[in-house]
Amino acid sequence: MKILVPFKSVLDPYEAAAPGGSGATAKSVINPFDEIAIEEALRIRERGEATEIVGLTIGPAAVDEQVRAAMAMGVDRAIRVDDARSLDPYTVARILRVLVEEEGPQVVLMGKQAVDDDSNQTGQMLAGLLGWPQATFISKVEFLENKTRARCTRETDAGLEVIEVNLPAVMTADLRLNEPRYVSLPGLMKARKKPIDVRTCEQLGVKVQPLTTVISTARPPKRCAGMRVESVEQLVLKLKEEAKVL
Amino acid sequence: MDFAWSDQQRELLDAVGRFAREQLNYDVIENDRNAVFNHEAWKKCGEFGIQGLLVPTEYGGLGQDPLTTVAALERLGYACKDNGLLFSINAHMWTAVIPLVFNGTEAQKRKYLPGLCDGSLIGGNAMSEPNSGSDAFALGTTATRQGGKYILNGSKIFCTNGPIADVLVVFANVDKSRGHDGITALLVDKDAPGFDASHKIEKMGVRTSPMAEVFFENCEVPAENLLGKEGGGTFLFTRSMTWERGCILASAVGSMQRLLEKCIRYANERKQGGQSIGKYQLVASKLVDMKLRVESSRHMLYHYGWLAGHRKAVYLEAAMTKLHLAEAWVKCAEDAIQIHGGYGYMTEYEVERELRDAIGAKLYSGTSEIQRNIIASLIGL
Repeated sequence: MKILVPFKSVLDPYEAAAPGGSGATAKSVINPFDEIAIEEALRIRERGEATEIVGLTIGPAAVDEQVRAAMAMGVDRAIRVDDARSLDPYTVARILRVLVEEEGPQVVLMGKQAVDDDSNQTGQMLAGLLGWPQATFISKVEFLENKTRARCTRETDAGLEVIEVNLPAVMTADLRLNEPRYVSLPGLMKARKKPIDVRTCEQLGVKVQPLTTVISTARPPKRCAGMRVESVEQLVLKLKEEAKVL
Repeated sequence: MDFAWSDQQRELLDAVGRFAREQLNYDVIENDRNAVFNHEAWKKCGEFGIQGLLVPTEYGGLGQDPLTTVAALERLGYACKDNGLLFSINAHMWTAVIPLVFNGTEAQKRKYLPGLCDGSLIGGNAMSEPNSGSDAFALGTTATRQGGKYILNGSKIFCTNGPIADVLVVFANVDKSRGHDGITALLVDKDAPGFDASHKIEKMGVRTSPMAEVFFENCEVPAENLLGKEGGGTFLFTRSMTWERGCILASAVGSMQRLLEKCIRYANERKQGGQSIGKYQLVASKLVDMKLRVESSRHMLYHYGWLAGHRKAVYLEAAMTKLHLAEAWVKCAEDAIQIHGGYGYMTEYEVERELRDAIGAKLYSGTSEIQRNIIASLIGL
């Protein structure tokens, strides 16, 4: 069984990064939800149910650092689509679709969303474009019937939902699926010897026409100090007239 | 001399920082209070690749050069708050791994190094004795050759990693009439008959790094455990001690940087008399001095690492690096408490521990006074 793990490079959520900054000095990391997806793929391979894990990302050459981190974790090989633009989920899904059709995996496993734009759309759109079943927000996955089906536990607002999907399928990882392993230094050194297949959107025949444009980014307004009120009437008045929430 | 990191070095350093930040900082206050060594963290460090940084790849290491190694240890010290764990790792690397890399036979390297790199084995050395500290080569422990083995008698003190070590590099004299030329290094396994390292010693700082008093009572060591030549112990000790002096406080530079950042944050947040305390010149001045100490320490460390990697003589530089970094670390930790005021004195703030952890640096690997003696003798005094 082959597993394709698309992942996105995002600014390190642990490092303070100013919104709207160039990001030139901020460190990037693999999107934490995608890292969970990679970890799950590795575990599936370690229990003998997958034979190959192919990483897939879109970004400029600087993203190779995250590609190597994925390979240091244990991804067998990786494809990077060389494109420095900020792409909307639909465009990303269209690019992924071409590569999924080329690679022919049984499972596409990715994070449920990226922590930078929080779109939570790419996996669903990819499944739609491919006409494959989808299991989103999974916290557990097991393969059934000679790996023709998968039973997935989904984390929903109503509780845990267990579904079965036919393979091939798209799965998106939720936070509690696993705790990713750390990249070891020997792994990092081995990763330097693994190939990165660099492609372009033109080669893949995908026309990139951004559907969304970021107009501006700003820090959320600072919280100001609270105030004490004398009575409920005064509270309601202030909520109406000053806070304008009633 | 070039201290601009290549992409590969930067990747390695970032990986060390992230690993340490996420994997090593739990139970540090409790473990310090109860003097508990974090075995799990040790194992993780081994699997991650810390203990094998300098070891050639054919013996399970990463084959990194000294400059990259000290920079990696600096990053480790920055991101990991368990100074005791790092002290144990340092003792292991400089007093057991380095002598094996440089003086071990092929069989000894194959037997010990892979385990010492991957975290499954813990090493250390036993040199200091109750009556032989700064005058290290006046040691009284004896090793007598009897057929295919050496018989050791004597005792050692301040043996870092003693209670947890699988193998120790022990220095003993094979013939006291030969003085320094009789000193010999032997690899002693923890299960050697007549070996006892169970007497733990309580101490002020780096409490998560266990230390023991070690006894040899007709302790039998196979002759193939001779490390280097018989009588070659003085040379072997001096070589590994030079590495130790140059590198052992690499993690302290990271610790100082962490303290500096913590103090700057606090000096900006803490308001007294209507302004941040950092606006008071007496506080600002402390922080500037701290910054200078961190930067000068880092430059000396990298300079030492570069020289060691280019096979230059580093005896003087090792002593100067050790002396400056030890004094700088203690002063930084002391100032950090002063800047934090009463809070800095409280365990919860994790500043007072840094001072207790730092003070030993002026004692181990040669006291500050011994480093000054060495430097004085090498500058023509």
